[in-house]
Amino acid sequence: MSKENNESGYLFSIIKERYGDRLSEDELAEVKKGVDRIVEAAEKLREVRLENGDEPFFVFRPYRGDD
Amino acid sequence: MGANVYSTIRELSDGIRRKMISPVELTETSLERLEEIGPRYNAVVTVTRERAISEAEKAEDEIRSGTYRGPLHGVPYGVKDLLATSGGIPTSWGAAPLKNQIFQKDATVITKLREAGAILTAKLAMIEFAGGMGYRQPHATFTGPPRNPWDPETWTGGSSSGSGAAVSAGLVPFAIGSETWGSILSPANNCGVAGLRPTYGRVSRAGAMALSYTLDKLGPLCLTADDCGLVLEAISGSDPEDPSATQRPYSYEVTQRNFRLAIIKDGTEGIDEEIGANFQAALDTLSKFATIEDVEFPDLPYEAITRVILSAEAASAHEEFIESGKMSELTAPEDHYGAYPRMVVLAKDYIRATRLRAKMARAADEAMSGFDAVVAPTSRRVASPIVEEFRRTSPGTSRDVMGAVGNGAGLPSISVPSGFTEAGLPTGIQFMGRAYAENTIIAVAKRYQENTDWHRRHPADTTP
Repeated sequence: MSKENNESGYLFSIIKERYGDRLSEDELAEVKKGVDRIVEAAEKLREVRLENGDEPFFVFRPYRGDD
Repeated sequence: MGANVYSTIRELSDGIRRKMISPVELTETSLERLEEIGPRYNAVVTVTRERAISEAEKAEDEIRSGTYRGPLHGVPYGVKDLLATSGGIPTSWGAAPLKNQIFQKDATVITKLREAGAILTAKLAMIEFAGGMGYRQPHATFTGPPRNPWDPETWTGGSSSGSGAAVSAGLVPFAIGSETWGSILSPANNCGVAGLRPTYGRVSRAGAMALSYTLDKLGPLCLTADDCGLVLEAISGSDPEDPSATQRPYSYEVTQRNFRLAIIKDGTEGIDEEIGANFQAALDTLSKFATIEDVEFPDLPYEAITRVILSAEAASAHEEFIESGKMSELTAPEDHYGAYPRMVVLAKDYIRATRLRAKMARAADEAMSGFDAVVAPTSRRVASPIVEEFRRTSPGTSRDVMGAVGNGAGLPSISVPSGFTEAGLPTGIQFMGRAYAENTIIAVAKRYQENTDWHRRHPADTTP
């Protein structure tokens, strides 16, 4: 099994552990496909090189009510 | 002038201001059509008759006594049922388990429209949770599969399905929809109307169901691009209840000049043949008043960036509902399980997506900086049959670069009709602009509509 398939399998096992009793075998199979797609998307993100200074596109601003 | 059900806001407001059109009569017409024709298309959740009559009488009194609030005064409208309404009017989010959900306060957009004198006549149908549970076919709302007025055996598009159908069928002169990824442009395309996705933050999201905190936008669906500008001016602006709402002021101003447009290189490969033909004809029309050049966007995983952000934020936004197990009560079978995979998006991947989003936003702005708009077919496919899964290349699905960049980077886009297929289904053309460039893209779309008459054609079954 490839590395990415392992990742998908581990993540799927979390879902199965937490919610498996609500889902049929067919539904679980669809959930596994969904996890595969999310891991596939994440892999694409990880292929792009980022520098340490490439910050997230949001800015945290400390809150002060009277500002 | 007299009003007809396909009068534009511009036309109606002229008649109302000159006291030749009665807001009460206009509202009665809208209410009757919502009640009689709305069910034909599964377009309506709640007709807000009592509130509408009260608002219409107030508008009529004000205008008679010389107080005219502006172009929306006395004009009826509907909202997607994800906007909170006070007064005991339910807000269902399209979901059966929430069909009696009540809020105490109106959404900011509704408050702004009330202040502009507009009249709320209906809460309109939508895909359950705005599509956030992973639906793959139209029968994904408790009000029934949203049917397209151009052919009720085809889909309206979604998730602002009722908003598209209600404008297309002449039930309301305009409607408010929301877009996280494709949910305004898709129904605008399928229903043959104009739909404007504003810049992220241009319109307050307060009181709207959150699907994805950094992707959700509210915007109008109207008969024309010009009308979209009139509505945007009324609903835009800062809001202490939504920290993402921009302080930048907006007023709708019409620009009259020639334009510089771009098309994404190879961006139309693989589209439906008829859509391609209509798009080419649209480019020919645009070339009368615009230059059109190829543009290349840098190679980045655009769809993956927006998809991961959407997945992680949607999982958080609806964690309580997902954990409750009530997903099994939703209408679409695939919505019973579609949200579970999102529960395991890794935090570092979400953060990575937001870091790449910064690169995407800068790259898109740089590529577009020499242009007024990037132009493309709104959808690569025509409206799908009501009983089938929609194809993966509709707006909001995985192979939609314009949608991924536009929504991921928070850019505005407007769709207007570009023609029809041989089967009589509308096709659309979209103009996507740089951040906060709504007036520019509306001006291009308006000019295009001045050179075409697609927006003056209406579904036969709904014409009085």
